Amino acid sequence: MARIFKVWGNLKKYLEKEKLMSISNFLVMGITFLLLGLFIDTIVLSQTALRYLEDQAQITIFFKDSYTEDQILALKKNIEDDSRIASVTYVSKEEALRIFKEINKDEPVLLESISSSILPASLEIKAKNISNLDSLANEYKAKDGVEEVRFYKDVVQRFASVSRGVYIVGFVLVVIFFIISYSVIISALRTSINSRGKELEIMKLVGASDSYIKGPFIYEGVFFSIISSIAAAIMILLLGVGMDKLGIFSKGFSVGFIPGFFINPIIFSIVLAFVLILSGFILGYFGSSAAVKKYLKY
Amino acid sequence: MSQIEFSNVTKEYIPGIKVLENVSFSVNNEEFVFIVGPSGAGKSTIVCLLIGEEKPTEGDIKFNGESVLEIPREEMSSLRRKIGVVFQDYKLLDSKTVYDNVAVALEVVDSEKEEMNNIIPNILSLVGLSKQKDSYPRQLSGGEKQRAAIARALAHEPDVLVADEATGMIDPDSTDGVVEILEKINSLGTTVIMCTHDERIVNKLKKRVIRIEKGKIISDKEGGKYRG
Repeated sequence: MARIFKVWGNLKKYLEKEKLMSISNFLVMGITFLLLGLFIDTIVLSQTALRYLEDQAQITIFFKDSYTEDQILALKKNIEDDSRIASVTYVSKEEALRIFKEINKDEPVLLESISSSILPASLEIKAKNISNLDSLANEYKAKDGVEEVRFYKDVVQRFASVSRGVYIVGFVLVVIFFIISYSVIISALRTSINSRGKELEIMKLVGASDSYIKGPFIYEGVFFSIISSIAAAIMILLLGVGMDKLGIFSKGFSVGFIPGFFINPIIFSIVLAFVLILSGFILGYFGSSAAVKKYLKY
Repeated sequence: MSQIEFSNVTKEYIPGIKVLENVSFSVNNEEFVFIVGPSGAGKSTIVCLLIGEEKPTEGDIKFNGESVLEIPREEMSSLRRKIGVVFQDYKLLDSKTVYDNVAVALEVVDSEKEEMNNIIPNILSLVGLSKQKDSYPRQLSGGEKQRAAIARALAHEPDVLVADEATGMIDPDSTDGVVEILEKINSLGTTVIMCTHDERIVNKLKKRVIRIEKGKIISDKEGGKYRG
């Protein structure tokens, strides 16, 4: 306990003595953590946007006129039981006509010549993972009563590859940004430690142990980075609350590469805030250890 | 058994360039030894090797019969408490008073306040700085700063006190004062090794002189003279 008071006393003295250096440390680290948080947010938002677009990708199965509504509904039930399928919507001939009329309401001549009998009934199928659409389409082509199976293969494949690309590039960028953050934090802590290089040299000279020399600098590094990361985490939390209130993504944020997995923006922001604070602790601990290392070289 | 023993020590900071070459000497308990030689001769390297700040390229260094090279890293700090060192540039903390500068040495071993209050006044009295205990380094003369550095080096009651060009930045009168203190410390039982190129003090004290040039020991004489 006495040691904690001593460490806190020394830290307080340092903060009072080196106000400018302390403020600059807080700012540099705080901005770095905030950028890290915003960067992760941006990656997740872009992934979420892609996932929402992916969800619009579907297969449409058009049926022959001879295939009855009961047969189509039986097939619908079978398809719904497939674990790869997210949703199946039945569009009857009448519903197809209504949609057609809605789309072409400004073309009265065209509408006069159309009746529900010439429009095919269909099933609109959305898969949980768009990479399955191609194989599903091939399966449905072979089913009885199927006139045509349509899906925009090129568009879907492009979406799938863009989505995968965003995920991989995003992950790599987050790792790179994490390394950049680590370097920025080491530099900030090293500047502060270098300003007390003489003190360290003297401590070593008079027989201080490595742990005695390292201790205060590690506490200091952890203190700076934890406080900075907490400040950044609060901003990220507020942003998450804002996103939730705006309700841009009704299903929530898509995280990772798990199809169909969505998380509420506030919960995501709480997790991200926790990750930032944990990163603050880790970066502060290892950053200050690395920064003080050169003074402990024998 | 010698207190300090250098056996065929060679040191290269850059491969192929020998700062010390095959240096061997020993120092006995309570001895007062001068290590003399021009700048760059290798005197400070001997100090760095002795306190484990550097490792020799070849050879061995023993302190109280134990090889310095074999001391584990975590025990190196206790070696440094047995060997007090003072440097030409004093290495005092400008933001601390004389008392607090000495206290730094005791704080690193978590000494209690009471213990410090018993030890520090005695050391300051020994080096003649009792009146200046609340002064900051900027308020002291060169000689006084060096005496404060000596006081800090004595805080752990070391077996050996090494003065590396300790009088290099002070005037002759202050130099005499510092040397007088070193003699007093030696008479109380602490081994003193003084690295210098000041022929005046070497010739005045008539102690053992190890002369080193270009990394090699040229002579090692009791009561030797030195012409720099």
